[in-house]
Amino acid sequence: MKKEQPNSFVIAEAGKCIGCKACELACFAVHNRDNGVAAAVGTVTTPVIPRLYVIRTDSFTMPVQCRHCENAPCAGVCPVQAIVQEEGAITIDEDRCIGCKACAIACPFGAISLYKAYSNGQEHKQPYLRERLDGRLERKTRVIAYKCDLCHDITNSGNIASGEIAAAAAVNNSGTPSEGGGEPMPACVSVCPEQALKLVSQSLGASRSRKAAGLRL
Amino acid sequence: MTNKVLTICPYCGSGCHMNLLVEDGKVVGAEPADGRTNEGNLCLKGHYGWDFLNDPQILTARLRKPMIRKEGVLREVSWEEAIQFTAEKLTAIKEKYGPDAIMGTGSARGPGNEANYVMQKFMRAVIGTNNIDHCARVCHGPSVAGLTYSLGDGAMSNSIPEIEDTDLLFIFGYNAAVTHPIVARRIVKAKQKGATIIVSDPRKTELARIADTWLPLKGGTNMALVNAFGNVLIEEELYDKDYAANYVEGFAEYKESVRKYTPEYAESITGVKADDIRKVMRQYAKANKAMILYGMGVCQFAQAVDVVRGLASLALLTGNFGRPGVGIGPVRGQNNVQGSCDMGALPNVYPGYQSVTDPKIRKKFEKAWGVMLPDKIGYHLTEIPHLVLKEDKVKAYYIFGEDPVQSDPNAAEVRETLEKMEFVIVQDIFMNKTALHADVILPATSWGEHDGVYSSADRGFQRIRKAVDPPGDVKPDWQIISELATAMGYPMSYRNTEEIWDEMRALSPKFAGASYKKMEEQGGVQWPCPTEDHPGTPYLYEGNRFSTANGKGRLFACEWRAPLEQPDQEYPLTLSTVREVGHYSVRTMTGNCRALSQLSDEPGNIQISPGDASSLGIEDGQLVRIISRRGRIVARAQISDRVKTGATYMTYHFWIGACNELTGDALDPISKTPEYKYCAIRLERIPDQLRAEQKVRQQYESLRKQMHVGAGQA
Repeated sequence: MKKEQPNSFVIAEAGKCIGCKACELACFAVHNRDNGVAAAVGTVTTPVIPRLYVIRTDSFTMPVQCRHCENAPCAGVCPVQAIVQEEGAITIDEDRCIGCKACAIACPFGAISLYKAYSNGQEHKQPYLRERLDGRLERKTRVIAYKCDLCHDITNSGNIASGEIAAAAAVNNSGTPSEGGGEPMPACVSVCPEQALKLVSQSLGASRSRKAAGLRL
Repeated sequence: MTNKVLTICPYCGSGCHMNLLVEDGKVVGAEPADGRTNEGNLCLKGHYGWDFLNDPQILTARLRKPMIRKEGVLREVSWEEAIQFTAEKLTAIKEKYGPDAIMGTGSARGPGNEANYVMQKFMRAVIGTNNIDHCARVCHGPSVAGLTYSLGDGAMSNSIPEIEDTDLLFIFGYNAAVTHPIVARRIVKAKQKGATIIVSDPRKTELARIADTWLPLKGGTNMALVNAFGNVLIEEELYDKDYAANYVEGFAEYKESVRKYTPEYAESITGVKADDIRKVMRQYAKANKAMILYGMGVCQFAQAVDVVRGLASLALLTGNFGRPGVGIGPVRGQNNVQGSCDMGALPNVYPGYQSVTDPKIRKKFEKAWGVMLPDKIGYHLTEIPHLVLKEDKVKAYYIFGEDPVQSDPNAAEVRETLEKMEFVIVQDIFMNKTALHADVILPATSWGEHDGVYSSADRGFQRIRKAVDPPGDVKPDWQIISELATAMGYPMSYRNTEEIWDEMRALSPKFAGASYKKMEEQGGVQWPCPTEDHPGTPYLYEGNRFSTANGKGRLFACEWRAPLEQPDQEYPLTLSTVREVGHYSVRTMTGNCRALSQLSDEPGNIQISPGDASSLGIEDGQLVRIISRRGRIVARAQISDRVKTGATYMTYHFWIGACNELTGDALDPISKTPEYKYCAIRLERIPDQLRAEQKVRQQYESLRKQMHVGAGQA
């Protein structure tokens, strides 16, 4: 691992985004391999839960996602310390999350949302909390916070060789070289047909800006 | 073990190359391949639009056995019985009423070119009529008619890859971001490379947002705007005088026709500022390479052919033909609508755009097919309701890979038409709304389950390949039609699609050199490709020789006509039908893909302006009732500040919020294309939202039951 390097993050260019939501689906697909999502989403039984959100206003369209803040405010408000910095990304430990929503409120980008938790394609039921449904008490489904993890688990699991990310990234890299050289790209970056998304690594971005500034002198 | 099968995406005319990933005889994924148009990219439908093949039965179920209606109910039968029954019924109707009482369709979707060739041959040689048409009639029919008039060929003059290397893109009534994300990619790249982008559209589409100039014209005023463009080119002497003198005809009449359409006059009709009209035409004329791209916003009006010719005239006046990166591009919507036109699934032409009224050509086909052929142009698809309900002329309808109840205007009238017919055959992969009215259902193989050729929007023949075996007792379309022909006494015995393809190209000079082998070697072949040693043609009209009779381009302008149904007190809003990116056509395919269906599901949306929403007391996401003179439906309100006050938009994909229950059947007089982009409606707030939601759910459930969802066989 490179040391002392700020977190990378994914950002979109509104001038290229056409609002197609391919990124939302790609994000969902790679994060739900354990929920019956094979190479892509063909066998999905869970609802589509993205970790980035295409927004559309009168004047712009683009996906918004976590910036992996160096002083992450979401982590500061998490009462159970489920949010941590690991290997260049801010991640949420979904097993620890209690669904308190504090992080979603604290995030200045609106990059965190709460949805039901799933495992093995089934809603993940809680051991204790029950909810009344049609007069019967049933174990309530866990609801947890989701956000971009830069495909952290997937790219670090070594399980991507045959997966969609590697395939798409290879294609992407043969076309326009992406930031970060030969490293696997997050799924949203790889899949975007307009190349509107990119993984920005701070060191690369800064040195490029400095060079550009130098050229302007 | 994962197998990769190289094929072409079945959604839209971009013609993207992709690999289907196959494990244990099932498709488990898709990945982009390096095709001429897509260069290793796919949109979300390409990536996630394949799992309808696994028959998840979300919206509707795959057809797995032939069915015949017995005592009012569709019952499964053997293929022998289905073919025999269909052949006897068609023969009886032909004998009783004559061949012109039978109408057939081509299919612009999965089946491919060979099946369309066989279908038009069946209608012409076996039934003995030119009554064959398909859904090009309800989309780019005006392009085929208009561009053939102006230039000689009714297709894109340019290629998709050229889009990014032009100096100016003029995009008219074309929402590429939604209909063709992979073409939109070229537009975005053109912008990055410094091209000027001009977008003419009533709505602020994604392309309007990134454009240098957006011309927000009022719906239904295209001709006035296009005439004003011509007026500026001539009045300001911006047109290419040498080009107009040498390669173009009709200048004097054209000049006279557009004289009245000053930018100020056009502003009073279109709402587009006179200064903007002048500005964009100065830019267009000045650009070294300028390209026009257009879509349904041009074609789906009762004045469509005129506007197509008008747009072609702008390119002719400025000399924007015969080079790479210029020209005019009607970007075809469905994956193989170019192909079904190429194959002659049209009432006036044989394969290769050869006229049925030309005796020499007819003789050629008579000799090849060994029968006498009819010399009269057949019926247009959109005239069928009138011909059945008012004139009682058509008795049988062979509907092949289309769903007119969902896709055609005025659905109630379409249902009435089908009910009145003596015999309706539906050949499809999924149960659909049209099949509810069928007397016979012939289940076919899907894309992914058969071989063939698709034509991309830019005239590119490309191979599709079989990846998996089909479920149930189904057959390839060309085989079903061949068996039917044989049962009717005209033996057809093709062994594979290549045999059909070779028969077709031997009869079609434009396609003669486009062999399977060449497609394999080059990845595809763009027509015209007249000989075996010809590589194909990326752009048309080299040397500024047009395909018209005298080789000249023909200018055209005429008076603007307002759309037929205008809003009034009872129906104060206008409705235009549009598309959304995650769904395709009548939605049988994407509605059966788990991810795509969840991204956007029933009952569909109606886009309205914030002003109209607040004056009606409607909130974003609420269910609303939408009523026209022809029907009423429920859909979800989607309040958008990109929509003008007084205008509304609905996508035609949804089955509960089916906008074609509302649309009108006014037709363009030449192409017979319906005015989908303009009719009058009223919106009503629904006070009891809870009950309305419940009713939508019930309606969806009962619809799915009708579509045989969950009826066993998973």
